[in-house]
Amino acid sequence: MKRHYHRGSETVKALDGVDFSIHSGEMVSVLGPSGSGKTTLINLLSCLDAPTEGTMTVAGKSVTGLSEDQLVEVRRGVLGFVFQQFHLLPTLTVMENVELPLTFLGLKPHPQRTKEVLKLVGLLDRASHLPKELSGGQMQRVAIARALMIEPKILVADEPTGNLDKATGESIFGLFKELTQKGLAIIITTHNMAFGYEADRVMTLEDGKILKEEKRV
Amino acid sequence: MDTRLKEDHFTLFRYVSLAFKNLRRRMVRTALTISGVGLAVAMAVSLGGFVMGYQGAINRSIDMLGFQVMIMAKGCPYEAATLMLKGGTGLMYLPGDTYEKVKNDPDIESITPIFVGIALKEGTAKDSEKTFTIINGIDVPSFLSMKPWLKFQSGSGRWFSPQSRDEVVLGSEVAAFEHRQVGDSFEANITPYGNTEAVYRQFKVVGILAQAGTQDDGTVFMPLDSARSAFNRPRQLTILGLKLKQFNAATMRDFENKWLKLPEVQVVSLQQVKTTLISLVATAQTMIAAVAVIAVIVALIGVINTILMSVYERTGEIGIMKAIGARRGDIFQLIWLETLVICLFGSVIGSIFAWFGSGLVEKAIRSLADFGVSGSIVLITPGVVGYAILGSAVLGFFAGLYPAWRAASMRPVESIREGV
Repeated sequence: MKRHYHRGSETVKALDGVDFSIHSGEMVSVLGPSGSGKTTLINLLSCLDAPTEGTMTVAGKSVTGLSEDQLVEVRRGVLGFVFQQFHLLPTLTVMENVELPLTFLGLKPHPQRTKEVLKLVGLLDRASHLPKELSGGQMQRVAIARALMIEPKILVADEPTGNLDKATGESIFGLFKELTQKGLAIIITTHNMAFGYEADRVMTLEDGKILKEEKRV
Repeated sequence: MDTRLKEDHFTLFRYVSLAFKNLRRRMVRTALTISGVGLAVAMAVSLGGFVMGYQGAINRSIDMLGFQVMIMAKGCPYEAATLMLKGGTGLMYLPGDTYEKVKNDPDIESITPIFVGIALKEGTAKDSEKTFTIINGIDVPSFLSMKPWLKFQSGSGRWFSPQSRDEVVLGSEVAAFEHRQVGDSFEANITPYGNTEAVYRQFKVVGILAQAGTQDDGTVFMPLDSARSAFNRPRQLTILGLKLKQFNAATMRDFENKWLKLPEVQVVSLQQVKTTLISLVATAQTMIAAVAVIAVIVALIGVINTILMSVYERTGEIGIMKAIGARRGDIFQLIWLETLVICLFGSVIGSIFAWFGSGLVEKAIRSLADFGVSGSIVLITPGVVGYAILGSAVLGFFAGLYPAWRAASMRPVESIREGV
């Protein structure tokens, strides 16, 4: 799979031939320096962008050549997202933030389900709090709960511990492990080598290519 | 427990709720923007109320004159137009025989001669700010045939006899202002024609009219000959009020041509008076409308600016919303609803202010320019308010397009990374 950009007469090979698959219940981390192609890879895997060459199949559905609107439809209900910035809506409570994806999917709020998800991330007792009343780690857990609300098959996490201290980061990775045990596929980009090597598989990118791929036992 | 997710039939309600919560985030900014819209709408509603109210007041005032046509001395047509509505200081008089010449015209259904004089109010002759009273000398039977609705306040008297020289009937406002009752005296300083000094006169109040909502409320009535004598114009008249047997444009034209042969008179249709008075303020209305339009445009730019700022501030959030499943249309709808909420709130608040402030607006307009009509000249109806709210919704629709399009066009990952 390739993703090339054109800047004037120059062609930027952001991803220049990567080939891999991620399975249900697997956690894969993507490591690499800035400009190695991590973000481009995440964009493609998130169906936020499309490859210029090659094919990609998400949850059994080919997404090659789909328009932006068609990619949205693939994203909805299949992919969950967690980012370095939590971007919780400050005027909504924890519970309302977690329920937000349902609104965009045209689904009714489901308090029971929301509570289950909040319990899973350990924040049931904070359901009625506003984001400003939470710590950074708690806010990231809310963001994870929000991503889990639609029962995605794949969770894409872009630098999920970038704004967190070491202990909080470890607890988030512990949560990710729990989630993979429930069958969720998780792909994570990170600069933190220690966290990266917590994954089942580690891919290191350089210049848009997979430099090495290590499977951990 | 059924844990399946179900389709929501109230998604619009959820988006509206979300829009409200987003707007609450910056309360001061939102309130200021709503105030801007409210101010513009209040101006537009007041203007609409003025246009409607003024035309209604003109029509009502002129209809309540009771006649269709006036014959009066040649002079300024604007003076003619306002003479009967608010009096006038440059009164001109018809020769006494005009009445005799005109009254037997077969086209006339009824005719009433009126003498108008201006008296200084009692005790004000030496004051620096003189106030005036309009005195109408009338022939009661023919005058009442034109204005059958004129009644006395309950138990408040009778009309004077034609021969009386010292009796008056007061309009309701004059009586209230002067604190006069039937049986009291009414004093006025009248300057007879040919005199330079006012003469103090005392009359007896024999009747007080019920409120008519017209210029008659502010008028003092006395017998025609008594008024002419007081002003030392024993054979002159100010106006002949007429009703024609058949009144339309053609009969009016014929009638006008017939009597314009008299060199000293002009024949004025009340329809012409209405048109003249309405055209007098049309320019002012156009200018106010231009100011209102500019205010609305400025308010709209304010709304667009506020929503755009809000969109840029929430770049990261919008990116997240798209990543977690919001389509472009969903983001467009959300931002567009925020714009609409601001415009609708502004229009409702502006309409309420205009509604309750219409009295002040009316006072301000009258203090700047008294158009000489009775009754309310700023009439804010549910229809005007309805149009204002509908107009605001339409403007909100257009104002929201660009910010909503900008938000909907944001690319998720870039937005999330930019919106740190």
